Amino acid sequence: MKLLFIIKQTFSNLWRERTPVIATILTICIALTILVAIFEISFILFNQLEDLKSNTRVEVYIESDLSNSTIQNIKTEIEDIISVQDVKFISKDMAADIFNREFGEDIMEILGENPLPVTFEIRLYQHFNNPDYLLKFKEKVEEIRGVEEVHYRHALIAKLEALTQAVATAGIIMLVILFIAMHLLIRNTVKLSVYARHQQIQIMKNLGAGTIFIRLPFILEGAIEGLIGGILSSIFLIFAHKFAESTFSLLVFPHYTYKLIALITISAGIAIGFITSAGSVSVFVNKIFSKK
Amino acid sequence: MIHFKKITLNYGHVPGALKDINLRLHEGEFTLLLGPTGSGKSTLLRLIYMDILPSQGIVQVGKWTSNNISPRQINLLRRNVGVVFQDFRLIENMSVFDNVALPLVIESYRKSQINKLVHGLLNEVNLSHASHQQASTLSSGEKQRVAIARAMVKDPIVLVADEPTGNLDREASKNVLSLLERINRNGTSVVMATHDYELIKDTKHRRIYMEYGEVLPAGRTVPLSNKRITILTQEE
Repeated sequence: MKLLFIIKQTFSNLWRERTPVIATILTICIALTILVAIFEISFILFNQLEDLKSNTRVEVYIESDLSNSTIQNIKTEIEDIISVQDVKFISKDMAADIFNREFGEDIMEILGENPLPVTFEIRLYQHFNNPDYLLKFKEKVEEIRGVEEVHYRHALIAKLEALTQAVATAGIIMLVILFIAMHLLIRNTVKLSVYARHQQIQIMKNLGAGTIFIRLPFILEGAIEGLIGGILSSIFLIFAHKFAESTFSLLVFPHYTYKLIALITISAGIAIGFITSAGSVSVFVNKIFSKK
Repeated sequence: MIHFKKITLNYGHVPGALKDINLRLHEGEFTLLLGPTGSGKSTLLRLIYMDILPSQGIVQVGKWTSNNISPRQINLLRRNVGVVFQDFRLIENMSVFDNVALPLVIESYRKSQINKLVHGLLNEVNLSHASHQQASTLSSGEKQRVAIARAMVKDPIVLVADEPTGNLDREASKNVLSLLERINRNGTSVVMATHDYELIKDTKHRRIYMEYGEVLPAGRTVPLSNKRITILTQEE
């Protein structure tokens, strides 16, 4: 009966104060949608970056007309560098075959000779695949006698890393701003609600109602606002994902994406609503009744 | 049952809301607190349900004493003291039934018990027909009867009524007084503050007169409702 009364009170209050309640729900919905979107973009970028890094190969072009033993010495010298995972030897003939496969043309037929250099294709250990180290590695390998040129896709890695970093930083700033906005709005709704119902609270206090009985409807209101905000946000995000999938055929989300989105947005919404309103109701009830 | 021992109460830095009050209210008694507005009647009543605590002295209500009471115990005390106010203090957007049931809901009574007790009380205050009506739709007299029913639903050790007829016309005031007297005859102690001498002049209840935060001694002649009367004041 007590719980039923509290639940009845909660819903009747939500209905009575529907304008600030709707504003709070919409704020929670927008904030959660933006947060999840930023998180997902950062996640995709990070995965792309990791993927690119793990597939990064450093190509070392060797000067022409070197003896086999000199080439072998260069290989050994490269292999001795601690960051090197493996070194693949590509002879001039192998390089011509690769050219043929990739461009569909026989370089010997076009030029009458094979100008492609002997190449070592180097794979580094994953954690060395960052722009700073790659640059140092390039400089080090270039110092080896017989090495003509060292090449890797440093510009793309650097750009993607900078972009991931920027999105992550923007995400953190947005996260802080949106959390503050959500917190302030829920707090304000609770404040209005406590002030509007201070007589009712006083009556309940006079009748001997305990803290939980008085505060629980406010806390449940916050949690319900969070729940509805979370549900709306997850619906919006799921539709956005489906739209993206149907528009960009290459984009395929894992099968658990929708469940994960619903779980994150709804539980985050409830948690934010519950925690903020619990803290706020305590502050405002104490504030009002300490004045009396 | 209720004992005020050397009570002094100051509101913040303003001294003298109550000055050296020594008073006993006995079980089963109907006590009238008389005196002009601002004399300290309501303040004295607020001490009974410990809405405020004295600056000096001790208030004892049943087994609870003000000098070592915790907030949790204050809640328990209030569940055993029925309070009726001049402005009714009903939750206006709730039904009559729900208002009366509130003290029982707070104490987690079962639905069947709540139904039985609330309907019984509403019958006693002649408001059975208005059970499902919203409190805001009632007349002032009806609202006060709902407030009395709510105060009585837990069978309190004392019913405290602070100017219960202050917002009512003569007829409704008489009805409320006779309802309180009936409650008292059934064994509940009643303490009622009023400045309406006309209403209570023919009653035989114990009268305590307050002025400037003090209980006046017996035999004093005081002005009341445009008359000068000698009241029997019993301090102890």
